[in-house]
Amino acid sequence: MYSIFFGILLLISTPTYSLEVIEILGGKASEIPIAIVPFEGSGKINGQKAHQIISSDLNRTGLFRPLNTGGISNPPSSDININYTKWSAMDAQFIVVGKVEIENPISGNIKITWSLIDIFKEKTIVSMRYMGKKSQYRAIAHKVSDNVYEYLTGSKGVFHTKIAYVKKVNNRKYSLNVADFDGFNSRPILNTTQPIISPRWSPDGEKIAYVSFEKKKPVIYIQNLKTGKRTLLANFKGNNSAPAWSPDSRKLAIVLTYNQNSQIYTINADGSGIKQLMRSNSINTEPSWAPNGEDIYFSSNRGGSPQIYKVNINDDEISRVTYEGKYNLSPSISYDGKLLLFLTNDQGKFKVAIQNLISNQVLKISEGPADESPIFAPNGHLVLFTYKDYGKTTKIGTVSINGLKRLPINVGSSIIQEPTWGPITN
Amino acid sequence: MTYRFYLREELELKKSLLLLSLVALLGAGCSSTPLDAPGDPSAAASNYYGVDAATAEALGLEELRGNTLLSQRSIFFDFNKYDIKAEYLDLIGAHAQYLNNHAPARMVIKGNADFRGSHEYNLSLGQKRSVAVKEALNALGVDDSQIETISYGEEYANQECQADACGQDRRADITYEVE
Repeated sequence: MYSIFFGILLLISTPTYSLEVIEILGGKASEIPIAIVPFEGSGKINGQKAHQIISSDLNRTGLFRPLNTGGISNPPSSDININYTKWSAMDAQFIVVGKVEIENPISGNIKITWSLIDIFKEKTIVSMRYMGKKSQYRAIAHKVSDNVYEYLTGSKGVFHTKIAYVKKVNNRKYSLNVADFDGFNSRPILNTTQPIISPRWSPDGEKIAYVSFEKKKPVIYIQNLKTGKRTLLANFKGNNSAPAWSPDSRKLAIVLTYNQNSQIYTINADGSGIKQLMRSNSINTEPSWAPNGEDIYFSSNRGGSPQIYKVNINDDEISRVTYEGKYNLSPSISYDGKLLLFLTNDQGKFKVAIQNLISNQVLKISEGPADESPIFAPNGHLVLFTYKDYGKTTKIGTVSINGLKRLPINVGSSIIQEPTWGPITN
Repeated sequence: MTYRFYLREELELKKSLLLLSLVALLGAGCSSTPLDAPGDPSAAASNYYGVDAATAEALGLEELRGNTLLSQRSIFFDFNKYDIKAEYLDLIGAHAQYLNNHAPARMVIKGNADFRGSHEYNLSLGQKRSVAVKEALNALGVDDSQIETISYGEEYANQECQADACGQDRRADITYEVE
């Protein structure tokens, strides 16, 4: 399902090059100034230009400050004859240069050659060439962003990943859609007249589990993204909801009610082996599997107000995780298991918050007042969430985990809600 | 869970009173029957929700429709709460009475929540509300086999309500399968 193009590594001068210190959480470390120079020849391709796509990608992370390169005269297109003094005077710490060539006018194949240059050290960090179809132009630009991100932060970029979300046109028209992480190339994978909630992308990237109300009550389906076929995972008496994949994509935690309160169960992805996790007279819901495969984080009102807890699936041992605030919901764990993402009610305003699971320090990264559905990017550096545009229509956006950059993802004028983020694939 | 004990005591006292008032209401219902077009079978059928007269009789549909308490179907809750307020005890008592008197009757309780908070938590909250109503009915002797509880969460709620207006979405709705 992912676009395929091939890249040729021309030169790497420094095999592992990452910044000495990037304070991801809590630190208001200044963003790295970087100039993405307009690529020579990018005017020949329709649509947004490569340097704009790369700038926009890096800008979302809250770690970079892309400089305005609009007025640069005679912009360089390779790392030859770089005027380091000029770029240094512009405060650029790094620059990206490149060119786009139509390799074959008949097939429409293109070639993008680019370099990442360290202005302070006056040397080229990496030069690469990507070749592919014209239709893969955006994908190639995102791949360049991934490379720049990885060279400068030491972590994988997520600019080539996919997201999914629910679009609500009206009370009788809902769809589940898949798009590039920035909202481009969206397409529906399910259209229905009833609500869809809680889509969750399998860690292996092949499937999306979701809750549909099409049977006049919530039931859980798993849809294969390659074949488009779906299977009913859970249609037990009462509600069936809140699917959460295990890290190996073989099991899910789900929530069932029968004729009682919401309780968490585990079930194999083929619908067999259902097992109740724990029993209580309180609400237990929103399971989220920790990367260790053994702990499941969940929300529960067992202490009176909703808080986040975790349970060990082997011995059912439960411990409380959030203490700050009176109303915390929707847990999601970063892929390294170190950060807890959740929704907090901060004096009537619903905001996205992150708790460092080692120090237990909490940082609110959005302003509210009606934010919801936070979910980590697969590298744990960005968060997808919903907010109410002008206090009315729910939309999706990203927020960097340092809270510095909150930017919308534009996928149309309808209500956009319940997002999920696909894994990093090659 | 204190409300349950409160309910039991309160409603045991009210049971006899309710019976009296139900009889009175039924009497009122009977006197209004001449208003229906006599001898028209299709009109009669539609009055019985499309079921035959014997089933309608067994389910007491006349009563279900005509009784002022039984025709009240919504129980409202406070934000993030699912305890039943005292003002709904009469309503619940009437439905318990009805279910106890009509074994074939099947009730579906549909819980709802306002849009604030997550979709999944609101689904659970709506479920808690429908279960709270079910347990109040259980306390009055209604068997679980007559009741199904489900939740719609915030999925059909007003997504733009402000303050007090959101209260309309914090409710459990009583429905009967035959209707």
